Amino acid sequence: MTDALPPVTTDSDLMLVERTVAGDQRAFELLVIKYQRRIQRLIGRMVRDVDLVEDIAQETFIRAYRALHQFRGDAQFYTWLYRIAVNTAKKALLELKRDPTVSEGSLRSGDDDDETSWHGNEPTSDETPESVLAAKEIAAVVNAAMDALPADLRQAVTLREIEGLSYEEISTVMNCPIGTVRSRIFRAREAISEKVKPLLDNQSGKRW
Amino acid sequence: MTNDTLKTREAISALADGQLRGQEFARVVEAVSKDDDARATWHAYHVVGDVLRSGDAAGHNDLAFVARLQIRLKSEEVAVQSADAVKLIAPDAINAGANGQFDTKRDSANVSRFRWKLVAGLASFTAVAAVGWGLVGGLSTAPTVNLAAAPAAPASATVVAIEQPQIMIRDPRLDELLAAHKQFGGTSALQMPAGFLRNATFEVPNR
Repeated sequence: MTDALPPVTTDSDLMLVERTVAGDQRAFELLVIKYQRRIQRLIGRMVRDVDLVEDIAQETFIRAYRALHQFRGDAQFYTWLYRIAVNTAKKALLELKRDPTVSEGSLRSGDDDDETSWHGNEPTSDETPESVLAAKEIAAVVNAAMDALPADLRQAVTLREIEGLSYEEISTVMNCPIGTVRSRIFRAREAISEKVKPLLDNQSGKRW
Repeated sequence: MTNDTLKTREAISALADGQLRGQEFARVVEAVSKDDDARATWHAYHVVGDVLRSGDAAGHNDLAFVARLQIRLKSEEVAVQSADAVKLIAPDAINAGANGQFDTKRDSANVSRFRWKLVAGLASFTAVAAVGWGLVGGLSTAPTVNLAAAPAAPASATVVAIEQPQIMIRDPRLDELLAAHKQFGGTSALQMPAGFLRNATFEVPNR
């Protein structure tokens, strides 16, 4: 599994954007929760400094929020957000290179903005020893929970999350009604997330 | 876990996959925005998805990140103001909801209405009537008749002048004075003394 896989994006993103533009800031927070890890991972390939990664990610979402009324849905929301993140990171790198107090070690090549060019084994810069451990633990729990799923639930969630198929396509592949697809995907997610939630709570220190 | 909680979580799962529309979409977004459990479920489902796709949970403190962003977003008034402007300019678009259908029963602002055409027609007719009334009424008044009879008037005036010549009193000393100074006064193309006129000359200084 690599990060180069196509992200699962849907028109729910566009609906959340429209709701945000209409004045509901909380809808934008749902988009942030959805994409923050992917954006931080992307920026982490360009910048070594952990704090800088988070600052640039924050700036990325702020810029996206300001320009949200310009998003027309012609491209996927993540594609649009991706370009903003890359441009924000490049700008930050240029400013840092002009700053004599910043060491070269905190910077990476700003040209490495192609998501497919990243190798999964390379550690990203936004990782501290604690966060690496927590991430490994979460990944292990997810994989174990996935293996423990009944075959039909595992297949449904795999087709959706990894292969990126729509409910209609999964319905055709699994030869079952769309309602069943929806139910199987939900039960799979629920079974896995029940194992993951305690780790997420420990990670953040408290619940939402 | 209650049935309501399960239904909400299943709806959140469907929302994550873009399967909700209209009121159900709005209801679940509202729930995820306000309810901590629903929000944690939304977060957990996406973490699971990220791990399945990339094998990486990107161990970051998501809650702290969102909390920090919330503070910054609250200070962002530009987007809010633009949203308010949209509300003022196009309230129908905002109220259209998820189906994107506007209220087609209401007329647009520039729709053609007959009553305005009627008002414009009446105003035009009134203006024409007022001008016409002025012309017709004006022709029957006395000054116009005088203008028509004007050529006869000088004849009678001449007669009067012949019959009663006006006496012009002349002062001989003034005549002499004028004759003596005639060479300086002169007449201009205006056929009248123009003593007030001054000729500007340019004299080149001798060097």
